[in-house]
Amino acid sequence: MDMGPFAAWRWQRLFNDSNIFILGLKNTLLISFLALLLALVIGFILGLASTSSNKALKGVTRAYVEFFQNTPLAVQVFFFYNALPALGIKFSVRAIGVLGVGLYHGAYVSEVVRAGINSIPVGQLEAAKSQGFQTLQALVVVIIPQAIKIMLPPLTNQAVNLIKNTSVLSTIAGGELMYLTNKWVSSGTLNYGPGFVVAGVIYFLLCFPLAYLARKYEENLKAKTTR
Amino acid sequence: MIQLVNVNKSFGNNQVLFNINLDIPEGEKLVIIGPSGSGKSTLIRCINGLEEATSGQVFLDGEELTRKNHTKLVRKHCAMVFQQFNLYPHLSVMGNITIALTLLQKKSKKEAEQVAAHYLELVGLTEKANAHPPQLSGGQQQRIAIARALATQQKIILFDEPTSSLDPEMVQEVLDVMIKLSSENITMVVVTHEMGFAKQVADRIVFMDEGCIIEEGHPTDFFENPKSVRTRLFLSKILR
Amino acid sequence: MKRKLYLVLAAITLVAFVAGCGNNNSNNNSNTNQGGSGGEEGAMLEVLRAGVKSDVPNFGIYDPETDTYSGLEIDLAHMLAKELTGDETKVEFTAVTAQTRTPLLDNEDLDVIIATFTITEERKLVHNFSTAYYEDAVGLLVKKDAGIESLEDCDGKIIGVAMSATSEDAIQAAADELGVNVTFEAFSTYPEIKAALDSGRVDIFSVDKSILRGYMDDTTAILDDAFSPQQYGVATKLANKEVADKIEELITQWLNDGTLQELIDKHQI
Repeated sequence: MDMGPFAAWRWQRLFNDSNIFILGLKNTLLISFLALLLALVIGFILGLASTSSNKALKGVTRAYVEFFQNTPLAVQVFFFYNALPALGIKFSVRAIGVLGVGLYHGAYVSEVVRAGINSIPVGQLEAAKSQGFQTLQALVVVIIPQAIKIMLPPLTNQAVNLIKNTSVLSTIAGGELMYLTNKWVSSGTLNYGPGFVVAGVIYFLLCFPLAYLARKYEENLKAKTTR
Repeated sequence: MIQLVNVNKSFGNNQVLFNINLDIPEGEKLVIIGPSGSGKSTLIRCINGLEEATSGQVFLDGEELTRKNHTKLVRKHCAMVFQQFNLYPHLSVMGNITIALTLLQKKSKKEAEQVAAHYLELVGLTEKANAHPPQLSGGQQQRIAIARALATQQKIILFDEPTSSLDPEMVQEVLDVMIKLSSENITMVVVTHEMGFAKQVADRIVFMDEGCIIEEGHPTDFFENPKSVRTRLFLSKILR
Repeated sequence: MKRKLYLVLAAITLVAFVAGCGNNNSNNNSNTNQGGSGGEEGAMLEVLRAGVKSDVPNFGIYDPETDTYSGLEIDLAHMLAKELTGDETKVEFTAVTAQTRTPLLDNEDLDVIIATFTITEERKLVHNFSTAYYEDAVGLLVKKDAGIESLEDCDGKIIGVAMSATSEDAIQAAADELGVNVTFEAFSTYPEIKAALDSGRVDIFSVDKSILRGYMDDTTAILDDAFSPQQYGVATKLANKEVADKIEELITQWLNDGTLQELIDKHQI
């Protein structure tokens, strides 16, 4: 019998347990989707706040962004999981997944939003205000529709990173693809070869189309603006 | 229509307007001239709240402009044309003109487009209704910007150096539109370096230097018989 | 676009396979090398590369201050090194986890794994295991104030186990018999399970009793329940028969002459 890590019988075992990987994929998708929604909501609110002239608002958003960008996601997730219960706050693992990954990427999204909005000439906001638009209304009607084109590629990259980063949840028994893969490869006949390859391929299939679309979009945008 | 009472404006430690008092009656065509950095643009930006006066008061149609109400007041009374046009590049020409009408004045789309069509015709660009601003020349863009300002049907239109960033051959087409406008009962406040336009259109000229109003008067008096040395110096440079 | 995607996928799979085959080949070479050119007369290995635990008190624990490992399995590694290399100091320790130990052995980065590695029938298909040098049952560690006296009280509770848990099946079977409903959450390292127990994330910390003893404190207690005896063996690569046979010989000898019992007594486990 071939004992190599990629021997055919090991793939057969993986095939027999494919429901585990499908479950992992489902959970990763669900957590990613909800975390992305949260990241976008937080990112847009903070991103807009950081472009305001209100110093307190700016300070708060800055502090948030610096905190979440400069501490590892793994530490934040561990904190949510093990430290918050000491304060009487106990989220489910899945909620921590959405919350942890969402809050973390919200910081990055807010930087994308801030940069996007700042890239629009100030005259656009002035024109809207001179017509009698409130600042927020001007942002929604005039600024964001222009900035979104600039923001879309980096936002998509954030989505890709977010999907990959859900794997951090494997350290807290997150139930997602990485956790179930880890569990599968360290039990039974220890088929880490097929296990990690398949997990890698699944992550790739989730992320590559997004990254590809983002790159195509960016190339089109460049071609348009340089025409 | 517009009153400025003891208006001072500073950016940090840099004071750019000193004790400005100005009363602009309804329908007046007021032209503000002066060297660069004299505070002309800041002055008209104080009128529509783009800048907040450090001290003093600004009244629009008898109501004082405050931080709280300026959006509402501006929406009611005031439109502006910028040096850099500031058209919305993501919207068509029609969209640029109708957006404030539908969203702020709550006109129906059809109604707004009728109004827009009227002012597009006035500026002679009916055929560009579906174009996007980046496809138009500078002169055309500025005419669209004027149509956008007019379409809100405000009593006041502020012009902040409307021809300064145009190529020379496009200046006249914009001035022609503004001259056409001057026959209407609109209060026009125009910051410009176009002295010919000022002579032809202005009811009154205000000359500013270093943040102060140095001299004001009827164009004939102002250009033929300037009182202040600084005015004379400025005019001699600009009318060479 | 579709075709490109397939190409990329094919490439990944190919690389994975080639890597696997490559290892098989180098395996044979290094075997002959190690066998032929041993440093000392009769030595099988120049140095013993051992995968051990770094977080299991009394078995294999790493002390960052002195940069040393200690525990029963560390002593065992030194004893094996003396026999296999001729010098008990010729050991290189590598800390392993449930996910890393098997690849490290397959890739020949390690000669042996002595890391509370439980012998199972399935694992014997992929590794050589020596006769057990230690036998222990799976136990349950709970918070004293949780009001849990035995598995019977565990209905609806969450049990924290190790990723490599062989204990999960045994406890599940016992729980089913009692009509008790339990769920399992798996962690890569034991300290992570202890943290989850302390924060109330899991209600029960369940691994082998001797390991649990290393995590006891004033607030926790080990229940009397014991499940499926776990036998720890020294694992070697399946192809590495020569070393495996020698180790088997040594372990059996030490079991019979009481050397291992002395070791167990020394570490009080």
